[in-house]
Amino acid sequence: MSLVAQIVDWSALGQTVIAAVLAGVGIAFAFSLGILGATRLSDSSRELGLFATVGYGTLAVAGMLASVAAIVFGIIVMTSS
Amino acid sequence: MAEADVILVIVVGTALAFDFTNGFHDTANVVATSISTRAMSPRIAVTYAAILNFAGAFISLEVAATVAKDVVVGDVITPTIVFAGLIGAIAWNLATWYFGLPSSSSHALIGGVVGSALAAVGTEAVLSDGVIGKVLVPALIAPVVAFMVGGIAIVVCYRIVGRQRPGPVTRGFRLGQVVSGGMLALAHGTNDAQKTMGVIALALIANGSLESGADPPFWVIVSAATAIALGTYSGGWRIIKTMGTRIIKMDAAQGFSAQGAGSAVILASSHFGYPLSTTHVISGAVMGAGAAKRVSAVRWGVAGNMIVAWILTFPMAAAIGALTYGVTQIFGDGAAGPVLIATAGIILSALAFMRRARTPVPA
Repeated sequence: MSLVAQIVDWSALGQTVIAAVLAGVGIAFAFSLGILGATRLSDSSRELGLFATVGYGTLAVAGMLASVAAIVFGIIVMTSS
Repeated sequence: MAEADVILVIVVGTALAFDFTNGFHDTANVVATSISTRAMSPRIAVTYAAILNFAGAFISLEVAATVAKDVVVGDVITPTIVFAGLIGAIAWNLATWYFGLPSSSSHALIGGVVGSALAAVGTEAVLSDGVIGKVLVPALIAPVVAFMVGGIAIVVCYRIVGRQRPGPVTRGFRLGQVVSGGMLALAHGTNDAQKTMGVIALALIANGSLESGADPPFWVIVSAATAIALGTYSGGWRIIKTMGTRIIKMDAAQGFSAQGAGSAVILASSHFGYPLSTTHVISGAVMGAGAAKRVSAVRWGVAGNMIVAWILTFPMAAAIGALTYGVTQIFGDGAAGPVLIATAGIILSALAFMRRARTPVPA
């Protein structure tokens, strides 16, 4: 066990795990918020007040933009290595 | 042409053939989720994955460096050893494809090369630190991380959109799957095409055509990218069926979560040079996304068969690689052994493809 502990670069492996968790869960979170915003906006756009319309619209756009930004960031990190 | 150059040409051709089978065998895993949730039609999904596989091959060289430098000792490796390792990997890939088992092409490749190096030189030819630290341990951890990320991601998705009307939510996640499926194909191209680049670089170094430690030449990158993309385009319907419908019935949110988790794990690992199996990772992510919703939704029997195939892959490919090296030595150190084995391999592969083509599996 100690031999494996010495051989494995746990720091790099730990960074890999953290990056994967943050990216995988983060994009799911951002994209789901985007869908929530878009769905609420389309479902009740006639009943919503201006404040709620702007709020859900902002949520939809921000969620989608955050997802795209995370993907672009990931590709930039990959290509710059 | 000198005999050594003949062997090198055969090795490069065999490596590209392996890359083709890798695309054929593995990329079905990448597109299965999109097809299963009807985010894309099979033909569009396969074409899209092929294009992004090709593009992915150009975005990093870390995994190629690991395969070329951290698995076996370059100074004692000959092109014939690399050839025998490739035959071990291809033979195991074809056998598992024939029986519809999505095993790991990556572990088959590394197992094959390790097996032939052990048979040819002995234990001193294998860099056990690299094999354990950069291949085996990450291979164990990656599917577990993918399972975990897929599971957390789907819980997050359901918590946020669970009370919304299913129609727009499903359409939204299907749209998301176009992106997440593309990322998974890109990640697959990045990690898997690099393994072939690494093996060709190893053969070039062994032949004295490339300096030890140098990156693969551009023609190696382009040819590896092309081979895996063509393999992907050629399909792999038997494995699509296993991955897409037999492991778990998925909704679009689960497909999105599984693909996002899989691509995150593969891309992060590629960045650090870990040669992972996309099969292991996407299977882990798919099971995680399924188990988080309902444990009984996952067909654990099918998952169990896959695990058995994974456990067998490294030793079986190593054994075939070692055996192949032994057979080449019957014909001496020249090109005769590799030429005969490559010819026999082409004939056997063609027969397997023709036999399988007669019993197609509906997508």
